[in-house]
Amino acid sequence: MDMYLNKGVREVIEEFPDVGEILENYQIGCVECTAAECLLKDVVEIHNQPPDQEEQMMNEITAVIYPDRKPETRVGKKGGRPEKKKIKYSPPMKRLVEEHNLIKRWVALIPKVVDNMDFEPEDYKNIVREGVNFIRKYADGYHHAKEEEILFAYFDENLDILKTMHVDHENARAHVKAIVAGLKSNDAQAIREHLSAYGDLLPEHIKKEDEILYPWMDRNLSTKQVGELFYKFDSVEKEFGDTPQKCEEFIRKLEEKFCKGGT
Amino acid sequence: MTHEGCPGSKMFEFNKGDDGGQEDDATATVQSQLRQWPIQLHLIGPAAPYYQGADVLLTADCVAYAFGNFHNEYLKGKSIAIACPKLDEGQDVYVEKIKAWFEDAKINTLTVMIMQVPCCMGLLNIAKQGLEKSERKVPVKSIIVDVQGEILSEEWISS
Repeated sequence: MDMYLNKGVREVIEEFPDVGEILENYQIGCVECTAAECLLKDVVEIHNQPPDQEEQMMNEITAVIYPDRKPETRVGKKGGRPEKKKIKYSPPMKRLVEEHNLIKRWVALIPKVVDNMDFEPEDYKNIVREGVNFIRKYADGYHHAKEEEILFAYFDENLDILKTMHVDHENARAHVKAIVAGLKSNDAQAIREHLSAYGDLLPEHIKKEDEILYPWMDRNLSTKQVGELFYKFDSVEKEFGDTPQKCEEFIRKLEEKFCKGGT
Repeated sequence: MTHEGCPGSKMFEFNKGDDGGQEDDATATVQSQLRQWPIQLHLIGPAAPYYQGADVLLTADCVAYAFGNFHNEYLKGKSIAIACPKLDEGQDVYVEKIKAWFEDAKINTLTVMIMQVPCCMGLLNIAKQGLEKSERKVPVKSIIVDVQGEILSEEWISS
């Protein structure tokens, strides 16, 4: 089994598709993950399942890889889909999760923006321009100033989980760049395509950060480090002034425009 | 086991035997991690140098007796104060001292370590009052220990 534990999870799923289904059943979304660079053993460790749940999952995976092998330990847990745990974050991590909520509100509006291509061209382009402005100022500016530049620096940059997140961030930036190029060249199709791709990428990325990355980081940060992060985030917030309020106002107005009575 | 009215005074006897329930040599010296004096919350000055920018542990009196590895696992690297929310008088002073930790000593974090008995929750409430009164926000963690020294929960409660 060690051989497979040390293999990339994508490779294992390709060889044994049922392993992907088992991971899905335990709310481990490696199948949809755009990067899925992690080793199987790291996936198991990082998701921090309760011991009996982890044991059951590993037994199920072993049974797929080695159908003739008996499980090494007896599992006392009842069958069925495992229950979802309520995550409690440290104060700095909680702030990042709250920021994700505003980003998710923007992402929820993207299909409406894309579907309203019959707006007057300039109106439409202005909405997209403001959307790009929101991404650059809020998601990639304010939020990533804390997450990428401060929080990630507390961990080894060579960790698979961090590499996976960086790949997502770079993919998102590439889509934004393509949207800006589309605006310059009046290429509505390119705008539609890359805006949609950005909207498809973000929900899964945020889910990974909220449900896997941040809880794992919280488990590995010391009390002292949590305090340090808290005050470093305070400094970033001071530096950005009223940017978050302006960004939230933009989202609120857009919600009013596209959804009757806002959200 | 005998039952009495108040859960905080309920009597238990843990039958661990003379070796304390350990097969290993339990006589090895444990280095004290205490780095200050005094420690009782009425006696400490919240502006003392060892509180400046520190990670502070506010613990109920009984915790260090219940939790075997208290010095190494929780006291190490922290400044401390102890109090009993059930028996101590003048607890308004406690709220003001905690507020002073946040605002004047600019502590990094506060960890409140209490016993599972209901009356011990009062210490956490005192810390929350201090935080509410403070203009400076600080991460506060709560750790609850059961009477046999197991950690029941450890979670951030604010800010």
